[in-house]
Amino acid sequence: MLREYGGKPLVEWLVLLLGIVIFLVGLVFVAGGAELALLGGSLYYLLCGLVLLASGLCMLMGRLQGALLYLVALAYTWVWSVWEIGFSPIDLLPRAFGPTLLALPVLFSIPVLRRMAARRAIGGTC
Amino acid sequence: MRWYRFLAIGMGAAWLCLPVSSHAQFAAAGSGGPPGASIPGPGRADEPAEQAPADPGYFAGPSPYAPQAPGVNAANLPDIGSVAADSLPIMLPQAGADPAPGDWATYGRDDAQTRYSPLAQITPENVSHLQVAFTYHTGSYPRPGQTNKWAAETTPIKVGDGLYMCSAQNDIMKLDPATGKEIWRRNLGEKYEAIPYTAACKGVTYFTSSQVPQGQPCHNRILEGTLDMRLVAVDAATGEFCPGFGHGGQVNLMQGMGESVPGFVAMTVPPTVVNGVVVVNHQVLDGQRRWAPSGVVRGYDAESGRFVWAWDVKRPDDHDQPTGNRHYSRGTPNSWAAMTGDDALGLVYVPTGNSAGDYFSGYRSAAENAVSTSIVALDVKTGSPRWVFQTVHKDVWDYDMGSQVTIMDMPGTDGQTVPAIIVPTKRGQTFVLDRRTGQSILPVEERPAPAGDVAGDTRASTQPWSVGMPSLHMPDLREKDMWGMSPIDQLYCRIKFRRAHYMGEFTPPSLDRPWIMYPGNNGGSDWGSMAYDPQTGILIANWNASPMYAQLITRNKADALNLMPIDDPHYHPGAGAAEGNGPMEGTPYAITIAPFWDPFTRMLCHKPPYGMITAIDMKHGQKVLWQHPLGTARANGPWGLPTGLPWEIGTPNNGGAVVTAGGLVFIGAATDNLIRAIDERTGKVLWSHVLPGGGQANPMTYEVNGRQYVAIMAGGHHFMMTPVTDELVVFALPQAAQ
Repeated sequence: MLREYGGKPLVEWLVLLLGIVIFLVGLVFVAGGAELALLGGSLYYLLCGLVLLASGLCMLMGRLQGALLYLVALAYTWVWSVWEIGFSPIDLLPRAFGPTLLALPVLFSIPVLRRMAARRAIGGTC
Repeated sequence: MRWYRFLAIGMGAAWLCLPVSSHAQFAAAGSGGPPGASIPGPGRADEPAEQAPADPGYFAGPSPYAPQAPGVNAANLPDIGSVAADSLPIMLPQAGADPAPGDWATYGRDDAQTRYSPLAQITPENVSHLQVAFTYHTGSYPRPGQTNKWAAETTPIKVGDGLYMCSAQNDIMKLDPATGKEIWRRNLGEKYEAIPYTAACKGVTYFTSSQVPQGQPCHNRILEGTLDMRLVAVDAATGEFCPGFGHGGQVNLMQGMGESVPGFVAMTVPPTVVNGVVVVNHQVLDGQRRWAPSGVVRGYDAESGRFVWAWDVKRPDDHDQPTGNRHYSRGTPNSWAAMTGDDALGLVYVPTGNSAGDYFSGYRSAAENAVSTSIVALDVKTGSPRWVFQTVHKDVWDYDMGSQVTIMDMPGTDGQTVPAIIVPTKRGQTFVLDRRTGQSILPVEERPAPAGDVAGDTRASTQPWSVGMPSLHMPDLREKDMWGMSPIDQLYCRIKFRRAHYMGEFTPPSLDRPWIMYPGNNGGSDWGSMAYDPQTGILIANWNASPMYAQLITRNKADALNLMPIDDPHYHPGAGAAEGNGPMEGTPYAITIAPFWDPFTRMLCHKPPYGMITAIDMKHGQKVLWQHPLGTARANGPWGLPTGLPWEIGTPNNGGAVVTAGGLVFIGAATDNLIRAIDERTGKVLWSHVLPGGGQANPMTYEVNGRQYVAIMAGGHHFMMTPVTDELVVFALPQAAQ
């Protein structure tokens, strides 16, 4: 029933794609966040970017920690946003809306990642 | 410059389409080209090198080697002679002195420029029934192959049986105010090349002659100043040129101006007539060169068109026309905003800008520094200032005065009223002055300002703050005010913010890194001016919060960017237009300047609102009655995409308000292309209507045959990226509902 491409089900390719997106966002966060921190600005982007890099890498490796680390980054994002600007919707929009939206595919990736982990446990390969 | 299209809300999905592309610091116009060669020859002034001229009155003019280029004297008009102010006839009472209730006799309706109408047929109760009564097309809009430089900004006037207006390129017309039918039209044959930064004609002036008897042609006249620097007088009844005025109804305002090219200087506001003297000012294209054409303000005889006086800042004692190779002092502060006349005091209130070469003040003379970015009250008999009130000392932020001042009576301490003027500024500081003396009626504090950052260009140690009036600006920017659609936009803007030099409103220009100008030259109050209801004492002000991001650059870098002034033989459009990068030839530096935005999404970097409207109770302690964002997100969004959202997020706005005895405020101005009616008492938006183009013009209202009309030019604005049209839209209640 599952369509397969190159020996992998489509959903697993989508999870890999999600991992790439998260990894790239993490790269931008770390690079920009490092400059911002050097300029005396917020440390949030650098720190969050490191978590996102780890999240993306894990997801690319088909590990459940990838999804969990993203949720950690999201929780950090919310806590930081509310700490910085409170609950004003117009201020939350750039900070929290996109990351929360991206959490939806991350949540959907959890069962896929579990299955990939289970297969790895049996087959011993990625 | 598409920054006026920015985000509204709810585009969060775009976070998935991450703008990871490189964010160029500045989109360099024509970058990469060869440095502009400096070739002497006709059309290129042999101007003083990088220092102030030895003689502050004149510098050696380029003539005869650099005559005015063809087309500068558009109609090839001969020189005009002079007439002594003492010999001018006594002026008749003018239509604007006490307009009929149904008239809108001047740009701001009356001589006080209140933008208040006593009409009350349209009320908060019935305004929702307003509908389009008629529209009229002026015929001026960008033709194929022409750069869109249009923003008509026109406000018609209505006197008696005529609605008089101009097209963006200065054709004059009389319409039937009840039907919009064109009664006559005077085409002026203005060339496209004459358009300066913007093709705008804010309005025309109605003048009644004391010398031509009633019933004769040109007893009542329409006066107009043009983009190609003509002062024109036509008969109000027929539109025929007035033969007794100037040369066949026209005066060449380039006389005495020296070397120039079409589009360098232009007149976009209606001339002001005070005690028989028609006073003209003109804009000079920003950022071109230190020795740009003069910002001289001149008076002419409204009867004959003959020259009466000049106010040339660097020739304070010489009010005559220059002769021979001499010309008005170059580079002086120019005045492009509408002026306000005061027949009783014999004054004209001139809002001034800063000297040419806007962002470097090292070569300005003391005489220029004394009158720049000020209100100057000129005596219309002599052309000499009677008083000066300065709103920015040694302005290098382009806080030039865009608003027309409004005459009002201010409640005084002893129960008497004080003759006053309201002075809006781009800083959002609003000053209230005694118009007899220029002294501030409300407290003004001189507060310390930062020292300069550029060698050879010191800054004023203090700047004036009008602490007795509500501030029409937002608090200083902070990193956490940065905004965007996604965290990455926000991160980009945070970095941009931290890279810049910023220490509040008077952050001095810097060479080593960018600096932020906020409120900036698009902030606060602009040419829309303010509307004042003398009955209720309510002052209506719409204003902007839109920072600019700028950096001084060396001459070498400017050459690498191919920046050159408009009068350079190698100049081509795009090589440094006003409000963009400017060569500032004749100073050590050029300027790169852009909105403080994300150039990828074309959204401003900081969070909205970007435009506000405020009602201030002037009779009871200048308290804010109401204030809210002006402009919805419906026509705005990232990448210029309309979101369709009705949310009043507060957009940039240009153009002012009308306030009526019916208790309504009418205003377009915002980039959502709406005209709206607002309850004067509560600020509630009661009605709005989608215009065919941007409503970047001051609306007006009038009555004919017992029916009240509201008119707005939906001309749009090229810089604000609103749709440009040539359409005047006029509203009224349905006949049955009246």
